[in-house]
Amino acid sequence: MLKKLIHMIFLPCSEVTLLMEKRNAENISSTENWKLSLHLKICKWCRAYKQKLEILDDILKRKLSQEEKVEIDNSEIQEFKEKVFKKIDIQ
Amino acid sequence: MTKNETLKDWIEEYSEPLLRRAVYLLSDKTEAEDVVQEVFISAFSSYDSFEGKSKPLTWLMTILNRKVADFYRKKYKSEPQIKLDHFFDETGSWKNDDVLNDWDFSNKETELLDDQDFNKTLEDCIEDLPSRWKITMKMYYLEEKKAAEVSQELSISTTNLWKILQRSRMQLRECLEFNWFAKS
Repeated sequence: MLKKLIHMIFLPCSEVTLLMEKRNAENISSTENWKLSLHLKICKWCRAYKQKLEILDDILKRKLSQEEKVEIDNSEIQEFKEKVFKKIDIQ
Repeated sequence: MTKNETLKDWIEEYSEPLLRRAVYLLSDKTEAEDVVQEVFISAFSSYDSFEGKSKPLTWLMTILNRKVADFYRKKYKSEPQIKLDHFFDETGSWKNDDVLNDWDFSNKETELLDDQDFNKTLEDCIEDLPSRWKITMKMYYLEEKKAAEVSQELSISTTNLWKILQRSRMQLRECLEFNWFAKS
């Protein structure tokens, strides 16, 4: 019941969580930012999500901005090189 | 050194880092090999435009990013359809309360990534994302969150970029909730 009331007066949570992405990327208008803040004041679900989102973004920033230790064996790389030499024909 | 000799050197020296980046972005070795092969072909034909201002690998990586974007556009021709009904009911409210669970950090969040088990869980959660979202997220973070550039390269609207990020992170949050925080 409370959830339903919240979204009638304020934005629905499904939209608010999208605004969080825009804010995160510093790509949010001041009106949107105001609506987001207002919603967060009264919605504990989105508040909890926002907190977790910040942690997640921080983790992903460090995890995804660098290549993982992708495993490729030497023989695969060697085979690949030979394929490319043949393809470009610069043997 | 002739053009052929230089190219040969590059293939010898840079196949590995290029393949790594490509496998990382595409999560598929065969697709990655095709893309890196195209990078060398493209480098061979546009060799004259390489002015030596940047390092060869930097130049090749730029070509690689472009090729991955080409690949993405060819594979995903239309704008993505992102549904949120797994998380929200028809009124747009949270369907369940697990988002309220406490994330207990017995060790600090900065140390989480040093934890091998956590890394494994996170990697599995990322791996479970649909490949389209995964590439988008990786490009977004690799390019240091320049939304306008990423959405242009991938030919999706910025709104859809937000939606992909929103939906992916919702899923990652839920996945970590159940597979890590609820267990630790």
